[in-house]
Amino acid sequence: MKYIGLILLAWLSIKNQAGQDLYACKNAKISLFSTAPLEDISAVSNSGTSVYNPATGDLAFSVAIRSFQFPKSLMQEHFNENYMESDKYPRASFKGKIQEAIDITKNGSYPVNVAGELDVHGVKQTRTIPGTVVVNNGTVSMSAEFMVKCVDHKIDIPTLVFKHIAETIKMNVSATYMAVKSN
Amino acid sequence: MKKLIPLAACALISTGLWAQTTPAKSGNAADSLLNSMNADTKAEPVIATFKSTRLILGATTETVKKNNLNFLVIHRFGDIGGSQGGGKTFFGLDNSSDIYIGFEYGVSDNLDIDFGRSKFAQQIDLGLKYAMVHQTSDDATPFAVTLLGKAGVKAYEANNGEFPTFADRFAYVAQAIIARKFSSNFSLQVTPTFVRDNSPFPFLAGNERSFFAMGIAGRLKVTKRMGIVVDYAHPFSSFRSNANGDNAFYDPLGIGIEIETGGHVFTIVFSNAKAISETSYLSASQSDWGKGQFRLGFTISRMFSFNKKDKKAY
Repeated sequence: MKYIGLILLAWLSIKNQAGQDLYACKNAKISLFSTAPLEDISAVSNSGTSVYNPATGDLAFSVAIRSFQFPKSLMQEHFNENYMESDKYPRASFKGKIQEAIDITKNGSYPVNVAGELDVHGVKQTRTIPGTVVVNNGTVSMSAEFMVKCVDHKIDIPTLVFKHIAETIKMNVSATYMAVKSN
Repeated sequence: MKKLIPLAACALISTGLWAQTTPAKSGNAADSLLNSMNADTKAEPVIATFKSTRLILGATTETVKKNNLNFLVIHRFGDIGGSQGGGKTFFGLDNSSDIYIGFEYGVSDNLDIDFGRSKFAQQIDLGLKYAMVHQTSDDATPFAVTLLGKAGVKAYEANNGEFPTFADRFAYVAQAIIARKFSSNFSLQVTPTFVRDNSPFPFLAGNERSFFAMGIAGRLKVTKRMGIVVDYAHPFSSFRSNANGDNAFYDPLGIGIEIETGGHVFTIVFSNAKAISETSYLSASQSDWGKGQFRLGFTISRMFSFNKKDKKAY
């Protein structure tokens, strides 16, 4: 009888944990930097979306290519039209799992590795991206910096402009999450 | 113990049911949440219907964006064939029918001011171009509409009394440019136009001062940065249609390729129209493709950005 009670309790507690809230962010800041001999290019989007499930460690990001703002409007047009082909591939996304266990009830800064699939320009790449998760009084925020090789995602840079555009683009991602209440 | 079994069963069933009715907080729930967050993204205006503000003869729906300056050099050589062409003029390369230097400045993302000076009639043009309607990605608006208005003054010294009054030097053009980007490779535009030229060239008795015209132009991209462009216009002018012999008029038609290299757009064309300014090529095209009276031409379009945030932000 005691065992049944224990098993039941354990099962219920697992259920409870699995039923924990998801964390979502609608204004993730995603920026890109390209440093080439003739030109530094940077762009930022403040409308990335992300969902984090603390129970499973699942983490997903998505951003509309058109939401990237460049200081030069012509660059923005070429980014969409010539490089990212945003009419064909409107979003870039990442779907992965945080490898480390994080206790989101405890304040702290957790260095993490997120393993998953990065989908840019319609080409998926398996990546492990290092980042940081910061928990502060129930607020969860994340940041990561990683490099994306244009060639890995079949983004062509013509030889005519190779001195303007770097072959490897530095990406910065930061997101602050809100708990999404379950019913 | 026996009392507890039904209790446990109840608990099992209820928690089991609860687990079924509430979406499992696994990848699926996270996916659907992410999808729902991305679902409300609204339709975007279609960009880059054309690479440049000009195609061959006429303007496109594209405007110069805010605080950007587009610098244009447009050149038309002499006739390749016919009496003016051939080896003696190195197929027209020794002559220039028209040279146009233009500046287009973006007041806002949808409005630019155009200034240009032609060799042809030494005309100075000043115009406004306004992108009124943008095509949207969801086809709620299936095409873009840009309005263009230009006033030109023929500045050359008139020794034969061509311009009795100063007002006779003026010419105007009003256009509604309607374009659709059918795919990333294919764009097409039609341009209903009204021309008012106070002294239409050539100076012939009965030459109409006001007439309508229709332009049709398209671009087919061969690669991401290179495309084939075609531009044609027909003036609805009975004087021009009825003129024949040495005074015959021919509809302007240009065919070329367009190459984009970052900040520049180069267009290399063959065209029978000698003039570059709208009022001139619509009212004064008397060169015939069939007689070899077409010419090589090119357009260089260079975009400069003067955005202040360019330097400090990011």
